[in-house]
This record gives sequence, C-alpha cells and structure tokens, in this order.
Amino acid sequence: MTASPPLPVSTSDEEVPAVASARARAVARFLRNRGAVIGLVVLVFWCVVALLGPLVAPYDPTDTVGMARRPPSGEFWLGTDTLGRDVFSRVLVGSQVSLLLGLISVGLGAVPGVLMGLIAGYFGGWVDTIISRFVDAMLAFPSILLALVIIAALGPSLPNVMIAVGIGTIPLYARLTRGSVLGVKRLPYVEAARVLGNPPSRIMLRHVLANCYAPIVVLSTLQVGNAILVGSGLSFLGLGAQPPTPEWGLMSAEGRDVLRRAWWISTFPGIAILSVVVACNLVGDGLRSALDPRMRVDA
Amino acid sequence: MGRYIAGRLMQLVPVLFLISVIVFGVMHALPGDPAQLMLQGAEGGAPPERLEELREQMGLNDPLLVQYLRFAGNALVGDLGESIRFRTSVTNLILERFGYTLELALSGLVMAILIGLPLGMVAAVRQNSWVDTLAMSVAYAGASMPIFWFGLVMILLFSFNLGWLPPAGADGLQSLVLPALTLGFVSAGLISRLVRSSMIEVLGEDYIRTSRAKGLSERLVLWRHGLKNALIPVVTMIGLIFGGMLAGAVVTETVFSRPGVGRLVVAAILSKDYPLVQGCVLFLSVVYLVVNLAVDILYAWLDPRIRYAA
Repeated sequence: MTASPPLPVSTSDEEVPAVASARARAVARFLRNRGAVIGLVVLVFWCVVALLGPLVAPYDPTDTVGMARRPPSGEFWLGTDTLGRDVFSRVLVGSQVSLLLGLISVGLGAVPGVLMGLIAGYFGGWVDTIISRFVDAMLAFPSILLALVIIAALGPSLPNVMIAVGIGTIPLYARLTRGSVLGVKRLPYVEAARVLGNPPSRIMLRHVLANCYAPIVVLSTLQVGNAILVGSGLSFLGLGAQPPTPEWGLMSAEGRDVLRRAWWISTFPGIAILSVVVACNLVGDGLRSALDPRMRVDA
Repeated sequence: MGRYIAGRLMQLVPVLFLISVIVFGVMHALPGDPAQLMLQGAEGGAPPERLEELREQMGLNDPLLVQYLRFAGNALVGDLGESIRFRTSVTNLILERFGYTLELALSGLVMAILIGLPLGMVAAVRQNSWVDTLAMSVAYAGASMPIFWFGLVMILLFSFNLGWLPPAGADGLQSLVLPALTLGFVSAGLISRLVRSSMIEVLGEDYIRTSRAKGLSERLVLWRHGLKNALIPVVTMIGLIFGGMLAGAVVTETVFSRPGVGRLVVAAILSKDYPLVQGCVLFLSVVYLVVNLAVDILYAWLDPRIRYAA
C-alpha cells in the first residue's frame, strides 16, 4: 500500500502554473518525510476501515457471538469481551466513532475560532480587544476543566463530548488566525481588493483567509488526534459514548474490571487509539514542514 | 520585583472573574433542577410543595444575578456550597482529597522530568543518530498515548505479571509509583522534545565552544554549561505541564482507584451533583492559576529581562 493515489488529486485541478508548482513542491516535501508518509498510510487505512465499517467486520459489533472472555483465536482474532462480543469487529467499527469524534470536534472548534480570529485581526480596535481578552482568559485555564463543566451541564454522551472538546479548542484557532491575519491584511493585494469596493466579509473569507490557511490546516490535523485522545479518555470515564457503542475508550473501560483474566478486551482498543493519534500527529508535523519550510520543527 | 508580582496578581482578577462566570453560567443556564435532583432519592417523586420549599431554601427562586453574587461571595471566603449527594460541605470534600491529587501531580511531574530530561539530553548529544531517533520515537509515542491505556498496561505488567507493585489504592509509596509513572510518561514526551531542541541550540553557542576549547571535560560542558541553559525554556513550560498533570489526574485516579479531586469530579458529574462539580472545577482552576503564577514569578526572578519587559 502506498500513499501516492490520494495526493496528486490536489494538484491536478490547479490551472495556475505558479500555484501548481508551489503546491507540487509542498507535496514533494511531504512525500520525502518518511514519518509523514507512514502516518498518512495509517490514516488512510483507518478511513477505509471506517467507511467500509460493518462490511469488513467479521461479526456484528453489538451482537453476542460467542462465549464471554474468549482469548484471541482463529475464530475471534482479538478475543471476545465480557458480553461475548467480538473485540476485532468492535475495534474495526469503532474507527467510525473515533474518526467522527475527531473531525466533528475539530469543526466545532475551528469554525468559530477561525471566524473570531479573522474578525479580531481584520477589524482591530475594540473588537480585537474584546475578542483577544476573551481568548486569553479561556487559554488561562486547562480546557479539560471547561470540557468537564460542559459535560456536567449537558449530560454524558458522545455528541456532548464533541461539543465540549470542540469548544475548548476555539481559543487556539482564534489566536492562531488572528496572528496570521495581522500579517496578511497589510499586503497590497488586500488593499487592492478593498479599493475595488469588496465588502469586508468577502475580503476576509476570500482574500485574507486564503493566505492564512496553512497554519490552520496544520493545527486542525494535530487537533484531530488530540480530540480523539481527550474524547476517548472522557468515554473511558463514562462521560462520553454510552454502551453498547463500540467506542475505543469505552471498550477499554469495559475490560478494566477483568483485566487480570482477559487482558485483550482493554488493550486492543488502546492500541487502535495510539495508532490513529500517532498517525494524525505525524501527518500534522509533516504538513507543517511541507507547507512552510520556515517553521520546520526539529522533532 | 514587588511591582512585577503585584502586576501579575492584578491580571488574575479578570481571569478568575471570567472562570467563575463561565462555571456558574454553564451550570445554571441548563435544564435540570438541583432541588429536584436532591429529592429524587425519595420513592415516587417529591411532592410539589416540598420541592418548592427546598427551592426557596436553596435560593433557586432568586434572580440569576443574585444567585451568582451569592455564589461568588461565598466562594471568595472558601465556601463552595453543599454537595447534593454527600450532604456535606463541598470545600471539605475537596480538601479531604486534594492531598492525594497534589501528591500524584507532583510525583508525576518528578517522573516526567526524570524520564524526559535524559531522553532529550541523549537525543541532543547524539543528534541524528539512531539513539536520537529511538529517543524521539519514545517521546512521540508518549505524547500520543491514551493515558488510561498506558495505566492499564502498567498494571498488567508490574502488578499482575511481575507482582511488584499494587494495582490500586493509595496506601504508601509503593502504590504511588505506577500512577506517577503513568502520569509522568505522557508529559515526558513534551519535556524531552523541549530539552532536545533547546539543548541543540545551546550546544551551538560560543560559550560551549569556549568551554570545550579551554579543556573542560565533556561531562562538565554538557551538565554545567549546556543543561543549565537548556533548562530555561523547560522551566517556563512547567506551569503548562502541571495543568496537564491535573487533567491527567482525573483519568489516572480512576484507572488506579485512587482517591482524589479528579475522581471526585467524575463521580460528581455522573451523579449530577452540580454544586460539587462547580466547586471542584473552580478549585482546580484556582490551583492551576496559582501554580502558573508561582512559575512566572520564579522565572522572572531567575531572568531579570522578563520583569522589566512586563
């Protein structure tokens, strides 16, 4: 399995040669990064599994298909859980839950955050002061505490975990976008767009945002992994997905009491989380060094 | 220095205000009535007149602003209200358990430094070798690992298979090792990456070349001149890492069945004990802010450039 098929698509629909070559150079830089390519392969694998979901799972993930707590065998590759469900099928179908959790949380954080950052950076003045103070205050205490309050108020469930995790990341996007906008908004082409009589909303979304997207994409990719990590942790605590959802954190929790007798119930879902999160981080770091060679990280 | 501390203290006021508004606002803007919850234990539901009486008693019929002012005023003097489930003071419930959480967070921090520092040092000194790759892979995995899973693996390995350490509880130093290791390992990744990059930068400085040129032993160069300077960025991150410890403690305490504020807040959420949730979150936020303030002051004391810039 190679990572080449999904990548050229992004360059093929570009008509402008200069842009295409800049993009091609970024793609080439990304592909030279061994870690990033490995991450992408793993991520594509999980996406395919999530899309096919029940089709590739040997058993129904919520059905009792055998004796409880059977160790891994030819029949049940990763064993069965306390209710006799197939752990392998549950891990495979669980990828749907985790990837959705990651993507929706990021959307719920990125969309309002980026808008706030755009508005603060573009308009400046008192609008900026209010938004920036608010962002600073939100950054001043750990987002997990905010997430806990939100879940306490809304009740434990998977959608509420997405909301809680997403809201906690709004200030990160707002601060990042604001910084980029400040750098872009004084460029001549933005001035030109303004002189031509474009409304501020159009300038912000079409002209300013188009030139700030790189760091936002990088942060979002890294945050997908982080959201899956935090979300599965909350599910492990009983504050997220509820039974019988095949959610990886919840599955780990379900095996905790029988850990000594049936280690496979808790450990395999955790390995799945680890692989997805490492993949997201590798791709995110790879994107960072590919999109902007100046901010290359040395780790 | 006094001026700097006073300035930083003043900056805390709006943050604390905002946190109290958010915590209070989120808990009160939503459906669910604490009075009703308190009476839920009674069979067959509560009679309406009893409910109304309790609402009046708890002050739930007052305007929201009055309720907030009462909440904030009481919180300022250390009164966080009464738990619905335990029927006792939230402040006492927290203080009874905070020692355990603090003990866990501090030993987790020590563990993170004990693991992260050598890992980052080795990676920096042997930059781009297989040692570097290995050390950074370990760091990467640590930062990408679900903390509950690592905890369960540690229990499997050191408690069930080897029988060295107890899998649960908070009974003496032995039972602290695995939770601290679990909590520390996750942050060790962050520390080692920081140490590595700042060490690489420091090792390229002129004074390192000078100390090598004047014939100091490599050990002295690395530990005396290298590490000391490479640690500055790490010190600034300690406050942030401590925040991660508090967050991690919520999960770690559950995995190892340890008493603590983290486990208390999870239990409070699951039993819809709103005053207790509110109190725990407010308390943990204040702890986090105070720690960060202390770190900032320490840093300003170590590096005079900071206090004049501020």
